[in-house]
Amino acid sequence: MRTDIGFEIHEQLNTATKLYCDCPTDYRNAKPNTNICEVCVGIPGAKPFPVNQVAIDSVIEIALMLNCEIVREPIYIQRKHYDYPDLPSGYQRTSLPIGKNGNLLGVGIWEVHLEEDPGKYDPTSGKVDYNRSGVPLVEIVTAPDLHTPEEARNFLKELTKVLSYTGKVRSEGGTMRMDTNISIEGGARVEIKNINSIKGAYRALKFEITRQKNLMKKGRAVKRETRAFLEAQMITKTMRVKEEAEDYRYIPDPDLPPLLISQEKIAKIREIMPEAPHLKLERFMKQYEIGRDDAWAITSEIEMADSFEEVCKSMPEIDPKYIASFFRHLIKKKLNYDNISFRESGLTSEDIKTIISKLNSKEITSSGAELAIRGVIEEKKPASVIINEKGLTRIEEEDVVVKAIEEAIKENPQAVSDYLGGKTEALNYIVGQVMKKTRGRADPAEVLKALKARLK
Amino acid sequence: MGGINAVQRTSTYLEKVEEKDPEINSFIEINPKAIKEAKQVDEGKRKGRLAGLVVGVKSNINVKGLRATCASKTLENYISPYDATVIERVKAEGGVIIGMTNMDEFACGSSGETSYFGETNNPAALGRIPGGSSSGSAAAVAAGFCDVALGSDTGGSIRNPSSHCGVVGLKPTYGLVPRYGLIDLAMSLDQIGPISRDVYTLALMLEVIAGYNPKEATTLKVSKKEYSKHLNSDISGYKIGVAKEFEKVTDPRIMKIIKKSLKVLESRGAEIKEIFLPNLEKGLPTYYLCVFVEFFSATRKFDGRRYGYRIEEVCGKEVLRRILLGKYISQKEYSGKYYKRALQFRSLIKEELLKALEGVDVIVGPTVPKLPHKLGTEIEDPLVMYGYDLLTVPANLAGIPAGVIKSGEVGGVPVGLQIQAKPLDEQKILNVMFALENS
Ligand SMILES: [Zn+2]
Repeated sequence: MRTDIGFEIHEQLNTATKLYCDCPTDYRNAKPNTNICEVCVGIPGAKPFPVNQVAIDSVIEIALMLNCEIVREPIYIQRKHYDYPDLPSGYQRTSLPIGKNGNLLGVGIWEVHLEEDPGKYDPTSGKVDYNRSGVPLVEIVTAPDLHTPEEARNFLKELTKVLSYTGKVRSEGGTMRMDTNISIEGGARVEIKNINSIKGAYRALKFEITRQKNLMKKGRAVKRETRAFLEAQMITKTMRVKEEAEDYRYIPDPDLPPLLISQEKIAKIREIMPEAPHLKLERFMKQYEIGRDDAWAITSEIEMADSFEEVCKSMPEIDPKYIASFFRHLIKKKLNYDNISFRESGLTSEDIKTIISKLNSKEITSSGAELAIRGVIEEKKPASVIINEKGLTRIEEEDVVVKAIEEAIKENPQAVSDYLGGKTEALNYIVGQVMKKTRGRADPAEVLKALKARLK
Repeated sequence: MGGINAVQRTSTYLEKVEEKDPEINSFIEINPKAIKEAKQVDEGKRKGRLAGLVVGVKSNINVKGLRATCASKTLENYISPYDATVIERVKAEGGVIIGMTNMDEFACGSSGETSYFGETNNPAALGRIPGGSSSGSAAAVAAGFCDVALGSDTGGSIRNPSSHCGVVGLKPTYGLVPRYGLIDLAMSLDQIGPISRDVYTLALMLEVIAGYNPKEATTLKVSKKEYSKHLNSDISGYKIGVAKEFEKVTDPRIMKIIKKSLKVLESRGAEIKEIFLPNLEKGLPTYYLCVFVEFFSATRKFDGRRYGYRIEEVCGKEVLRRILLGKYISQKEYSGKYYKRALQFRSLIKEELLKALEGVDVIVGPTVPKLPHKLGTEIEDPLVMYGYDLLTVPANLAGIPAGVIKSGEVGGVPVGLQIQAKPLDEQKILNVMFALENS
């Protein structure tokens, strides 16, 4: 059965001030109702300031990154009316499309809008925090071009990557909100609201497909309706059926003249905007002759991709394949393990160059390199300092290694006898012990060779 | 205003208000700090072009610490936490705010009768409506309770009561005066403007409140003008447009008075030219459709969560009618039929007026097509009430400036002459008014 899935995605823009006033956009750390003014609280008589230009430019850039055409006619800011405690004026302002007809990974991007966030309502206390009210959002509406929850997840991951490449959305994470719509052949279109993460989207879709297919199996109709995703229970629940569909009574906001985007503005943004991640990936594979997996890992973050290119450029003597492998197996692995981004890690291209060059000249071993990376991230010091302080320089004196080998053999008779009995993997364990004794400064390949000779 | 003692002036006005306003009901609230503010003027702590001038403010304009009730129970207890931009400017120029004036509830009315705080009487024709919606501002000026007042004009709300009360009033070009701090009726039409007894004070107040506000998306980026300095009663060579259509819709007794004033202007060297406004009468339905929709939107914040009352539960009949009609016609299924059509007609009317203005300096005619009715007359048909606005709404729809000055009287009831001009041609309007004042 054919399944079509589409999304409406909201992400907060990374601006210093709100969309229609000068209040700071920090609503996470500020005390409730401290970053507010007449405008964002909707005090009678207050009027919006002219639209935040940084926010407009951000949306244009995002739309361009998603291959959209930028609308050249006047773009009206609409008032979308609904009644909810978090909405200080009883309407939310949302622009008509700024970008249209784009695509990402073959998925159509129908529209890209500029919107404002409402305040935050706590139903338990009945209180509203308006610090978030007026924070700019980008809204991205996709075509129903996705067909499985897995496809949807991949698409959302790629979209997140594109947004983070622009640097125009908030980087702290957890600010993405989305609605999804799903129609299975033979049933009506169902919309699901309240999804706050990619994982949530995946789970909501999984649940919803099963629910709809079960209904169909029983010969019952899938109604056109809007459902809410309940994250904790991982289920969806009816919010309203089609007949009660809300009428937002859209009108162009009389307080705001329509936006007009010039050709020059578009050209200027196009010039400075980053290369899209999937294009970068293709280019890396071609230009540096590296594998897709390496390129994928490196382009997962624009800062890491940039660093990779910088290292390649300033170390022409080293094979980019080797550098790519270093990024993927030593850096990306550690980042994944710590669950941090390259940017958060504090690693610089300088650090990476230092480590690679010492590795290349065999001054340090690959284990030493791993320790150096860890040191830079954890102690926030340059790689050269870490290597010195920790004494990670490769041990040249053979007797130290020989001594460590002798000790390791003595201390691990079981492993030795296992190895001698035919269990070759037992040898790896002993190598590990030697590396430990030398604090990673011995060359594991050399150690292995020496051990094999010793235990013959 | 040098040499005039501000405290003395303010207390004289305050005494007069105390004595006579119970009959007029032009104020909702008196500024308890008025004397203190006047004292600062006398001590030289507050200076400026308005130093010592006593100012009344319509109750839909925010003045920090005073109530901006919009003459509605909805905002009965709403104390402004900030000053509107025009109030900042008035204060910066040494104006003394005497209090908040009465008005039609949420500026929805042309009679001054729909206030939650009671109707306002017409000081120039006692027992008759003062007009609206800036009823209290015009009445306070006419009664001599202050030197000048601020009103707001969405479809005639400054000009209509100025006409009925026999004072001078001006609705500026849309965007010339900041709206920041004005509580909305219809955002695309609202403008704040001055009402006074003489043209000089009117010009002075206009130059103080006019000018670009960078923190407002709809103000015009124009340089400041000194209207009072450039007042000139020499209007010889002015081309004055008069439309046949005015006569068709106006009470002949009013037309007779207006024609006399036209003769005066002619005698001062102005040239009368006939113009055509065939769509004049389409202005009214167009205007009201826009107002209903925008007003519905503007009142959504009065949901009972923040300001005590949900507007629909406590407002008067006219406000409720507008909200419900606005809600009805802005439905998805009708918006194309009503609001979008209204916006199209609006462009048409604007084009027509601007085209008519191409060949003339100003358009002169009556302000209100009929005389103000007696207080207590039950007018059940809203269309009869809306009829008062027929000649004033086009200026709002087109965004052009329009002023009103007393032309004469019909049986003791003042009749105001309306002067409309091209966008930003306030000086010409003021000059024509100045010429009439000096003849
Ligand atoms: Zn704010």
